[in-house]
Amino acid sequence: MDALASPPVDAVIVGAGAAGAAVAWRLAKSGLSVCVLDRGPWLDQREAANSRDDWEWVMCTDHHPDPGIRKAPADYPVTADDTPIRPAYYAGIGGSTLHWGAHFPRFHPSDFKTFSLDGVGRDWPIDYWDLEPYYDLNDQIMGVSGLAGDPANPARAGRAMPPVPLCAGTQRLAEAADRLGWHWWPSDSAINLDQDGLGRDCCNQCGPCGMGCPRHARASTDITYWPLAIEAGVTVRPEATVGRIETDSDGRARSVLWRGRDGTWHRQAADLIVLAANGMGTPRLMLHSASAAHPGGIGNSRDQVGRHLMHHPTALVSGVFGESLGPPAGPFACALYSQEFYETDGPDRGAMRGYQMQAIRGQGPLGTALGGYVTRLDWGRDHHRQFERSFQHTVSLTVTTEDLPEPENRVDLDPQAEDVAGVPAARLSYRVGENSQRLLNHGIERTTGWLREAGAVETKITPLSRQAGFHFLGTVAMGEDPNRFVVDPAGRVRDCPGLAVVDGSVFPSAGGVNPTSTLQANALRIADLLAGQTPLTRGRAEAGGASS
Amino acid sequence: MSTDRLTIVLDRLLPGDPGTGWPAAGALGLAEKAHQMAVERGDADRLATILQALPSGFDYASEDVQVAALKTLEADQPDDFDLLILYAYGVYYTDPRVRDVVEARTGYPNRPPQPQGYELPPFDGRLLDKVKQRPPFWRRT
Repeated sequence: MDALASPPVDAVIVGAGAAGAAVAWRLAKSGLSVCVLDRGPWLDQREAANSRDDWEWVMCTDHHPDPGIRKAPADYPVTADDTPIRPAYYAGIGGSTLHWGAHFPRFHPSDFKTFSLDGVGRDWPIDYWDLEPYYDLNDQIMGVSGLAGDPANPARAGRAMPPVPLCAGTQRLAEAADRLGWHWWPSDSAINLDQDGLGRDCCNQCGPCGMGCPRHARASTDITYWPLAIEAGVTVRPEATVGRIETDSDGRARSVLWRGRDGTWHRQAADLIVLAANGMGTPRLMLHSASAAHPGGIGNSRDQVGRHLMHHPTALVSGVFGESLGPPAGPFACALYSQEFYETDGPDRGAMRGYQMQAIRGQGPLGTALGGYVTRLDWGRDHHRQFERSFQHTVSLTVTTEDLPEPENRVDLDPQAEDVAGVPAARLSYRVGENSQRLLNHGIERTTGWLREAGAVETKITPLSRQAGFHFLGTVAMGEDPNRFVVDPAGRVRDCPGLAVVDGSVFPSAGGVNPTSTLQANALRIADLLAGQTPLTRGRAEAGGASS
Repeated sequence: MSTDRLTIVLDRLLPGDPGTGWPAAGALGLAEKAHQMAVERGDADRLATILQALPSGFDYASEDVQVAALKTLEADQPDDFDLLILYAYGVYYTDPRVRDVVEARTGYPNRPPQPQGYELPPFDGRLLDKVKQRPPFWRRT
């Protein structure tokens, strides 16, 4: 294809979200020339709609996490007819961190060794301690509030800022957990709680973090990593829709073909191409980039690309209290969590691995009526009574389960639709596995009991949240065995020299917690290996890494 | 699209409660705005098709018959009905008159979350006194 050739660079990165930002900054700090392509635009969060009277309408439509509802120009088509869990992602410089809740837990050591410990899933080729210095480095750059000392997790460095405050509802949950003898702990949150910290305003507890944060209190990579990466020399190209990874006759990745906003095609050659387009977008591009050297798609000689898709199947149980809990104040997804049932333990579960329970604060009036992640209020004569009974009277708990990798759960291509660059739609085929379902069942029972202990007079169960497809993991997995794993422990695609993957695609296992801090830490680790640097080891996290 | 049927539908979905001050959605004259919101999102044709799927005579039927027809639509075409609910609840709960009722009935202020935000007391570390007594229980590898 004819295309305008850009000057070659050492590394071109596809995707400017959580992982792309981390790897771009780290590679540039190692001295590489780096260019980043993302199909989405720069967004100014100072203009976020939560200052507008119609903020809830915007949140439920134009800023909805589901691209099928949002209908934004930068979104690529996703065929989700064969999955009970709708996709949620965002295209823009900052990726899905532009709309996330900023809950920032780490994996447990056992999450990296599920097969060795429990005979299920796949081990990582690294362990928690390999990632620990990168977790610490990433925490410095994103800015994390919270509290060290959680007995459910290994000791970690002191948090830079105090925990996000509890509200009336979440404090009741804390007190109830104590009465039950269960673990709970305040969330690690990528939210600025320091009046003078990080050059960003302090969180003012407005609530709907998912709309973007006009105060820049909630971290997202457009305001954390990207300024540092650009300062280090990285070129960021927004609204650059990638159409193909080009390989030579020997199968080596040589260039990226991309389409600009004006429809002009460009070719960016690089010694190293890094995919960071998430666990749905990355396999989509690899499968679409088939060539004579890669007839089934790049890295797909063993039919593994796109398989083993893992989400975090999530149930929600809402507790309705008889008295008002006050306005829905505080970051909606960050308050406290319990990992009482996180580790494999106890025959009553009938399942291996475990789940996290995470408090979700109340929503605004429209969010309460529509439900969102939980069941909507009934229409008709009883609607207004239901509204008054629920609004400002509700706090919810997630049951965030560890999914296991199953080959039939996958991302592939749907030729019935394509984006502006001619790349077919991502097609999701997914079923909740038996193990995950047992964990959900166990968690629903336990969270219901927790909410009752907290004083809820009614509980409402959403057995599987349809809109909880935030995490796409495991589709281009990393491991030692070349017959089973598409990429090696350094993120390099085995069948395709010159190509690496750094996003959630490479996760051999999913853990039972939000993956962002882990995928960013892993992206930093891979960046060091790709750049020929000596990996950080425990105790060697760079003090002041954000400004070094 | 005529908004007459949409007005009726809005009144059945959100009928109001004079005893507590909740207005009926259709009576507030929100059908035109709901239609405009659907136009802006490219859903107007689909919304019109959904409304046309209601049985003939719907507009002049009794309230009970209209409610029954809507329940049938909800059961037979759940995705379409969800779209109808999106616009009904969306236009209702973003209307400033309804927000005033929300404030009057619940105390929730009729203003957006920003720039004012809300106040919460700082996290009280004493809440963790019991949990801190627990020894580490993460699984060694």
